[in-house]
Amino acid sequence: MGYYAQIAINILILMSLAVSLNLLLGYAGRVSMAQDVLFGIGAFTAARLVLPVADAEGVVAASGINYGFGWHWFPATVVAIAVTFLAALIISLPAIRLIKGEYLILLTLAFQLGGEQILTVWQGFTGGPFGVAGIPPLKIGETSFSTLREAGTILYAVLMLVVTIVVILVAWGLGESPFGRLLKTIRGNETLLPSLGKNPVRPEMLAFGITAAIAGGIGALFAFSQGAMVPGNFSLDLSILIISVVVLGGTGNIMGTVLGAIVLGGLEPVLRQVLGDEGIPWQRVIYGAALVLMMILRPAGLIPEGSLRRVKKTKPRVSLSVGTENGQGIQFGKFTNKRTQSSQEDVDDVLAITDISKSFGGLSAVGGASFSLKKGQITALIGPNGAGKTTIFNMVTGTLGCDSGSVTLNGQELTGMKPYEIERLGIARSFQDVRLNDNMTVLDNVAVAVPNQPGENVSNLILHPIRSRKAENSVELIALQCLNVLGVANSADQLVKNLSYGDQKLVAIARLLATDCDVLLLDEPTSGVDPGSVNLVIEGVSKLRDLGKTVCLVEHSVHFVERLADHAVFLDQGVVIAQGTVAELVSSDELTELYFGN
Amino acid sequence: MNFELLAQLTIAGIVLGSFYALLGVSFGLVYQTSKIFHLANAIPFAAGGYGAVWSAKVLHLPLLPAILFGLLMAVVFGLLILFLGYFPVMRRNGALLSLFLVSLGITVAFPNLLQIVFGTENLPLWTYDSQGELVSAFENRVFSSGFLTITLIDVLKVVFAWTLIVAVVLFVKRTRSGRSITALRTNPEMATAVGINKKRVYVLVFALGSFLAGVAGLFVTLEFVASPVMALQWTIVGFLAVVFGGIGSLVGTAFGGLVWGLLSSLSALFMPVNYSPIVVFVSLFIILLIRPQGLFGKVAV
Repeated sequence: MGYYAQIAINILILMSLAVSLNLLLGYAGRVSMAQDVLFGIGAFTAARLVLPVADAEGVVAASGINYGFGWHWFPATVVAIAVTFLAALIISLPAIRLIKGEYLILLTLAFQLGGEQILTVWQGFTGGPFGVAGIPPLKIGETSFSTLREAGTILYAVLMLVVTIVVILVAWGLGESPFGRLLKTIRGNETLLPSLGKNPVRPEMLAFGITAAIAGGIGALFAFSQGAMVPGNFSLDLSILIISVVVLGGTGNIMGTVLGAIVLGGLEPVLRQVLGDEGIPWQRVIYGAALVLMMILRPAGLIPEGSLRRVKKTKPRVSLSVGTENGQGIQFGKFTNKRTQSSQEDVDDVLAITDISKSFGGLSAVGGASFSLKKGQITALIGPNGAGKTTIFNMVTGTLGCDSGSVTLNGQELTGMKPYEIERLGIARSFQDVRLNDNMTVLDNVAVAVPNQPGENVSNLILHPIRSRKAENSVELIALQCLNVLGVANSADQLVKNLSYGDQKLVAIARLLATDCDVLLLDEPTSGVDPGSVNLVIEGVSKLRDLGKTVCLVEHSVHFVERLADHAVFLDQGVVIAQGTVAELVSSDELTELYFGN
Repeated sequence: MNFELLAQLTIAGIVLGSFYALLGVSFGLVYQTSKIFHLANAIPFAAGGYGAVWSAKVLHLPLLPAILFGLLMAVVFGLLILFLGYFPVMRRNGALLSLFLVSLGITVAFPNLLQIVFGTENLPLWTYDSQGELVSAFENRVFSSGFLTITLIDVLKVVFAWTLIVAVVLFVKRTRSGRSITALRTNPEMATAVGINKKRVYVLVFALGSFLAGVAGLFVTLEFVASPVMALQWTIVGFLAVVFGGIGSLVGTAFGGLVWGLLSSLSALFMPVNYSPIVVFVSLFIILLIRPQGLFGKVAV
């Protein structure tokens, strides 16, 4: 019984470590290689705190390694959690400047290896290579969890089961919350979140912090249950095992991780039975091979993300948005994009671009372009490929700095601001590709754009769960209404990957609408769209104008521009060649020749 | 300050730094072109050492052919990883994260396979002498002049590392195939548009990178032994050199490796050798925090 209970403990520990890592790896798409050393830091912190205080100085000198501070196990666990949480925040500090995944890999890898070394050489903390012994067992009330008796091990197994269930619920709750939606939006697309007015750094650091904190807490329980441990227990190989569990089970899916932990965690005792100590290298070969084969054959894992999704009833929800087809009924309420309204409300030129230029190396992409967007009108940027249209969008929204010139919104200078700051002032953009998350529902892809959501804040989720839930209902309603304006509300609960490309483009426009920005920049809204859907896109864009939005679009289709745009700006080689009404530009022979060639 | 110690540590730092530079260029070639966090560069490294040991013992090869066999194995294993691991994932449009996970899986499986096949013990490079006895293949010699000491293998390391680095840099700068590497690295879309075969360039950089990793692995085997766990830390060293020097250029990477080797050697003046992984982490952390483009890198556009 005790033997099986110990196996159960091992599997449950692996499961909790992997479930918490899934929050980072599966949702945010970031890898931590340091999960096992963080687990170890938690374990040794708690152990040192609960070890008994030495009674006489002589004893300390003789065998000082097994003495500590004599704390109760509960505050010791809390401290272990706090220490690992802070360690994670510090490790991820450079990520503030570098929002690139491989830096977190490198930093956590270096931390894992450096940390292993610290644990081995820091005698006063870990007792050196031979570790610590005599860690007192847990005591709850009168029940002591001493592992000297079989009953104690079984009690630990039960405790670990309870803790693992709590970890699963926490990870699940966070993953499916607006916070989890932010994380999923970060994954695979580093530029998207800033374009929606949200700073990706904070949720990312927090996700890593939570992952580490859970590892620290589990480490404390590990220390109490083992009674003795050595620094060699916490190695890079085990960090990689934890990653393998997440990948095998399916990233972004907590239930998959549970299955993965049972499969890979159960492998060890089986191999040990069959092969004895020879089984250890085989186990590592198998989980390494599992990682490679899964990535090649079934990258989504045993249980792919979204496959266990609760299918919601779409029809009654769509009825909620009836009457908002033209968008007039959308109530952003407190979720409005609160920006400082300019005093010059009646300014006609909402966005003024003056003489901006940008060159890459010696190549000038935009060389002194000036034009402005008129309030409530649709302006089209036209011109041949390489004319600098998308570059101008990038400069206006802050993804590219301007070499010179100025961009003002209602008189306020925008150059030098970060992309998410610019969005919060009221300019949102779409991209040539749709940049939707394939494995999220249509509704979630739009909802992520709604500003000021309390549920994106982890502290609100914990302290005000009910308020966050209510706010989420309002956010979903706003998203649904935005979808309805574009005529795709019926697909709200579908995964984006099941939609046609034309519909995906419409969803991307709905997401723009959900930002509540006044100025919307659309980069080739019809490129790649089937002819049948082009009319829907045209209709959608004209609804944006009806809602009073100021729209600027980059477009190749003259047909589209003629039907929609009030004003057109013709660019060639980074310079504005002409501007005026579309009819004027189209009738100019010179421009027609430039555009269509000979 | 103790001048003699300083001079000796500087020499040791140059030797170490040259080795780091070699590892950095090995990793950098692959990483800069493919953007794959190629942790599995550890495999050609180990394959170089094991290839030489095995061929000397089992095929009775003398030292030089055994070394060449080791290098061949390094390249073969590097390309196997590319063809069996990375290409299938790329064909499915796998993200960089997926490629990294493949790399991670290979990195953990391979040393354990080595352990299953060759055992856990450390294997020195021994060859058969004229009497048919197995003897150590390479006698290291120590040169001393006053207070300075340097070994033959140290000299070989410095000479080979910089010769190979210069050769690779010239190859990339001057030859047609070399320039296709730069083209693919700086502008993948344009490079494929003008007819550069991406797959061929990948094969080229993986072959070159694995060759250099094999050279490094052979040095470790000659100086010490081949062991299942010999490679991973050195691979990480390679990536650190890349980060130190700046991701953009091979020359920057090589100098980054050199500077870093000097730093870690000279840190022995202030703290116990045990703490050097900590020095590594802290300096990496500081570099990324204040100068993310690396010591010799340019700010990314």
